[in-house]
Amino acid sequence: MNRVGRAPVTFVVAAALLLGAGCRPLPGDAQAGGAHLAVLMQPGERPFWLPVAEVFERDHPGVHVDLVEGPQSTDLRENLYTASLLAGDPSFDLVYMDVTWTSKFAAAGWLRSLDDAFDADARAALLPAALEAGIYRGHLYRVPVRTDVGVLYYRKDWLDGAGLAPPHTFDELATIARRLQKPPERWGFVWQGKQYEGLICDFLEVLHGEGGFWIDPATLEVGLDRPEAIAALRFLAGTRAGPDPISPPGVTTYQEEESRRLFQDGRAVFLRNWPYVWRLSQREDSPLRGRVGVVPMVHAKGRPSAGTLGGWGLGISAFSRHPDLALAFIRHTTTLESQRLLCEPTGYAPSLRAAYSDPALRAANPFLDDLLEIHAGAVPRPIVPRYALASDILQRRLSAALAGAMPPAAALRAAARETRLMLGDAAVAKR
Amino acid sequence: MSGRVWTRERLIAVLPAALLLAVVVALPIARVVFLSFTRTELEHGVTLHPAGFEPFVRLWQDGRWWTSLGNTAVFTGSSLVAEMVLGVAIALLLQRRFRGRGVLRALVMLPWALPTAVMALAWAWIFNDSFGVANDLLQRLGILHGPLAWLGHRGTAMAAMVIADVWKTTPFVALIVLAGLQSIPEQVIEAARIDGLGAWQRFRRVTLPLVAPSLIVALAFRMVQAYGAFDLVYVMTGGGPGGSTETVSLYAFQNYFRYLDFGYGSAIAVQGALIAIVLVLIVVRLARGAGEPA
Repeated sequence: MNRVGRAPVTFVVAAALLLGAGCRPLPGDAQAGGAHLAVLMQPGERPFWLPVAEVFERDHPGVHVDLVEGPQSTDLRENLYTASLLAGDPSFDLVYMDVTWTSKFAAAGWLRSLDDAFDADARAALLPAALEAGIYRGHLYRVPVRTDVGVLYYRKDWLDGAGLAPPHTFDELATIARRLQKPPERWGFVWQGKQYEGLICDFLEVLHGEGGFWIDPATLEVGLDRPEAIAALRFLAGTRAGPDPISPPGVTTYQEEESRRLFQDGRAVFLRNWPYVWRLSQREDSPLRGRVGVVPMVHAKGRPSAGTLGGWGLGISAFSRHPDLALAFIRHTTTLESQRLLCEPTGYAPSLRAAYSDPALRAANPFLDDLLEIHAGAVPRPIVPRYALASDILQRRLSAALAGAMPPAAALRAAARETRLMLGDAAVAKR
Repeated sequence: MSGRVWTRERLIAVLPAALLLAVVVALPIARVVFLSFTRTELEHGVTLHPAGFEPFVRLWQDGRWWTSLGNTAVFTGSSLVAEMVLGVAIALLLQRRFRGRGVLRALVMLPWALPTAVMALAWAWIFNDSFGVANDLLQRLGILHGPLAWLGHRGTAMAAMVIADVWKTTPFVALIVLAGLQSIPEQVIEAARIDGLGAWQRFRRVTLPLVAPSLIVALAFRMVQAYGAFDLVYVMTGGGPGGSTETVSLYAFQNYFRYLDFGYGSAIAVQGALIAIVLVLIVVRLARGAGEPA
C-alpha cells in the first residue's frame, strides 16, 4: 500500500498542532546521548505521567521518555497518530490508545504484537475486560494502563432524606427522578447526549441493560433494529421528551463535563458518567462532599447491569526504533507503584488487579470494590477494524432521534441497514 | 503556420514542463481514479482489491454521501451569491477615485491573504456561544436575548460557515471584477450617460454586460473552491452538528483517515470531480452566451 493523500496528512498535522497545545516540536529521531522514547498524550494527563516516566528514566540511565502533549481532542490525537503511522514515521515509539483505536491500528499493521511479551501470568495480573479490549484477531496489541467503566452517581442525601433506595431498573430511576426533581432548577437525570463517542457509550449501557446488542463480534450480526434496541432508544429519547421529562432539553449538547457540572452544582439527582467524577465530587471545596453515592448503571427488570468499557492503554509502533525499551516502559506502567502514581491523584481506575486491594488507592477511592465488580460485567465496544465508521453511523442516527428529527424505530432501522452494508463489505472481503 | 512541426529543440523545451505536470498532476489523478475502482480491505494490513463500479454503486446508495452533497450545494450556492453581489459592489466602490484608494485596495485584500485554517479558527471563536463577539454584539443590539450556540445548531452552523467564507473570498471576486471594470473604456460609459441612461440603467445595461466575462471567471474559480471546501469546515465545525455541515471533501477525508478506506474515499473524490467538471462546463457555456452580442 503506498501512501495515499499526502496533502491531507500535512494539513491535519499542521491543523492539529495549531489547534492543540502543540507549540513544542515533534520529537525527532533518536538524538545523540541516549535513546528517546516518545509517546503522544492528552495535555491534562501529562503531569501525572511525569513521575512514572521519572522512575523509568532512573532505572534506565541514558533513556529519555518524551511525553509529548497532543491536542485536547481525542479525535485530533487519533488523526495525529494516524498521519504519523500512515507515513511509516518512527516519531512515536509508543501509541497511547483509546479502547476504540486498537482494532484499526492493529488491522493496518501499525502495531507490534505483544503476544510473547505478556505471558499468561502477566495477563492474569490485569483486569480481564480491559485486557480483552487490546486483543484483535487473537493477538495482543495493547496493554491497558488505566481503565474506565460507566457508572451511575446519585444524590445520597436526597434519596436518604426521602427514604428511597438507589435504583436498579430504568423505571425506578425515572420514578425517583420525577419525585425528587424540580425543573428547571433541579433535574432528575443528566447524561451525555451530544453526537460524539460518549453518546454511543450511554446508549450501549441502556441497550445491554435491555438485553440487546450492537454488533455481535463472532457472527457480525447487527442487533440495532431489534425490539430491545428500540426500547433502549425510546428510554433515552423519553428522558427529555414527553409531558414530564427527567433530563434538561440541552442534554443533547452535553459531553461528560457539561453533565458533571450540573450535577456538581447540585442541579441533578442522577448522573451517568465515568469513575473520575468521584474524586472531583469529594474535593474539599465540593458542595457534594459526602453526599454522593455510586451504583452500577440501571437496567431493565430481570436483566444484568451493563457499564460501557473505556480506558487507555499502550501499544508499540511497528516503526519504533526502540521496541525493547518501549516494551520495558509498558511493563513499567503496570507495576503497582506506577499505577498508584497515576491513579491516586486522578481517580482513574487502575488496570492492575492488585491495585484494587492497595491501601493507598482504597483510601483515595472507597468504591474500588464496586468498580471491580462493575468491570466484570463491562460492555466492550465492537472490535471491528472500521469501528470509527460503525460508530459514526450509529451516532448520527441516535442524534437525529434524540433531536426529534426521526422516530426511534426508523432511526435504528436506518442505522442497522447502514451498519450491515458496511459489515457486508467486510464479509465480502473475508471470502 | 509552420508551428505544427515538432522539432527536436521544441520537444526538449517542452519536456521539463511536461514531466513536472506528469509527476505532480497526472500521476496523482491516475492513482485516485485507479483507487476508486478498488475495495480497500483492513484486516491484515491495508490491501487493495479490484471492485469495478461497486464503490460507485455503494456511493449512490449512501445517504450520508447525499447529505454531504446537499450540504456542499447549499454552502457553495449561498457563498457564491453573496460573494458575487458583494464583490461587484466593492469593485464598483474601489473603481471610483478618492483619497486613500490605493491603501484601501490593499487593505480589502487582507482576508484573502490569510491562511484559511487560521481565519477559520478565529471565526469559530467569533461564533463561540460564551466568549464570542457575535453573540456579544447581537445581545447589545437587542437582537438576541440570550447566547446562541451558533455552531451547535443545524441552520446557524451552516450560516456561520458561509459568513466566514464570504468574508475571506469576497476580496478575490472584487479584485477580478475590478480588473474587468478597468478594461471598460470610459467613453462607453460616457456615451450611455449622454444618451440619458440613469445610474442603475448604466450599470445594468452597460457595465454589467461588459464586466460579465470577468465575473464568470471569478464565478468558475470560486465555485470550484467552495465546492471543494475542506479546511474551513474541518476547523470550524468538523462537519457537525449531526453531519449538517459535512461537505463532500470532508466525507472523503473521513474515509481516508478515520476509516482507512482509500478505495471509497477515492470514489467520493472522483465522483465529486466529475460533478465539478459538469458544473464548470455549464459556467463556460454561460460565459460563451454572455460573450456573444445580444
